[in-house]
Amino acid sequence: MATEQSVDLVDDDTVGWFTKAVLLAALTAALAQISIPLPGTLPPFSLQPFGMFFAGLLLGPLWGGVALLLYVLVGIAGAPVFSNANAGLGYVIAGQGTGGFLVGFLVGAVVAGAIAHRSLTPKPVADLSVPVQVVALAAAVAVVYAIGVPWLAVVTGLPFARAAAVMAPYIPLDLLKLGIAVGVVQGGYLAGR
Amino acid sequence: MLSYRPGSTFAHRLDPRSKLLVQFGLAIAAVAHPTLPWLAGTTALALCTLAAAGLSPLAVLRSYRVVLAVLALAPFVAGVALGPPWFRVEPALRSALYVGRILPVLFVSAAYLTSTPVRDTRAAVQRLIPGKPGQILGIGMALVVRLFPLVLADVREVRDAIHARGGEARSLQDRVRLLAVRSLERTLDRSDRLSVALRARCFAWNPTLPPLSFARRDYPVLVLGIALAVSPLATV
Repeated sequence: MATEQSVDLVDDDTVGWFTKAVLLAALTAALAQISIPLPGTLPPFSLQPFGMFFAGLLLGPLWGGVALLLYVLVGIAGAPVFSNANAGLGYVIAGQGTGGFLVGFLVGAVVAGAIAHRSLTPKPVADLSVPVQVVALAAAVAVVYAIGVPWLAVVTGLPFARAAAVMAPYIPLDLLKLGIAVGVVQGGYLAGR
Repeated sequence: MLSYRPGSTFAHRLDPRSKLLVQFGLAIAAVAHPTLPWLAGTTALALCTLAAAGLSPLAVLRSYRVVLAVLALAPFVAGVALGPPWFRVEPALRSALYVGRILPVLFVSAAYLTSTPVRDTRAAVQRLIPGKPGQILGIGMALVVRLFPLVLADVREVRDAIHARGGEARSLQDRVRLLAVRSLERTLDRSDRLSVALRARCFAWNPTLPPLSFARRDYPVLVLGIALAVSPLATV
């Protein structure tokens, strides 16, 4: 005897946010493979934080969080999406001492989205004022370091102050990335998104 | 880099949910106690997981060599002092012990990666997380794995195009802005096309789940995973 099952279609808005989250997860993974070498002893300029910035600003706290959660889950499942094509739970925990930063990106996207949109439903990015964008992304960067530095200390057994000193050279670069991300939004490149 | 290799080892035949539990359990157990006996025990267990997956520890060490090389610097950073005696052994040894805890986690993670296809992990996530969140994450993982190579090719194409047009001479900010804008544009265009494609195919909340089932061999592995996960509580 044939059984009937009704199809519970996903509504159009949800499909739109879902596909944006999927593609921003893929973009975060792609940007993690790209870095620009800097002169001298400066660390390479990694583009990975842009995934967190754009996920928070474009998708808000819920779907921005989903995007970064998908990124981390796919990496744990074995896809080579972390820096230098790494994968696995071991990399999320240890990384190159930087495993906590992956978790920090996830929480950072949620925090940036929550501050920028103040609602689970995101507004168009063009409606976000510059100060709100700056505060949202600065909070995201602060969260990334608030999670990443103690995590580094726990994984490596370094005293907290020394772990913070190891990560300090990256802060000006992250602030520069924050400025570039706000510039991208203000330049009207994401109008209508 | 390590990735899934088809095979018929004991680890390959296990359900991904029991392997996930052992992986997380061993990670919790390894990180919980920075002592030598604990480190020896978790490392021995992790080596067993490698044997179960038919994977050589040397291959894992080779694959994670950059990670391990960076982590190996930690004891030196911990030991350096800003005055006499300039290098202190005790904090360096403590840091070495902490870093050593990561080795079994990398081993068990490598055993999981090489014995479990991504689609099985996706199926496990979809079954372990109930309701719509599980559906979203399961289908989302499958789509990210499918689309990642395309988005990566897009980003590399944009980078090469900037380079071909003398981008090296531009300021760092300009290069990064161009790369971010063009990559984001392409990514969002792909998102719009994917959205239309999913709606055209009646994307629903009740799709058919990928098949997974526990076999008799999974039960002792599940018990081991649970025991490892709660082992820190037993020693408090």
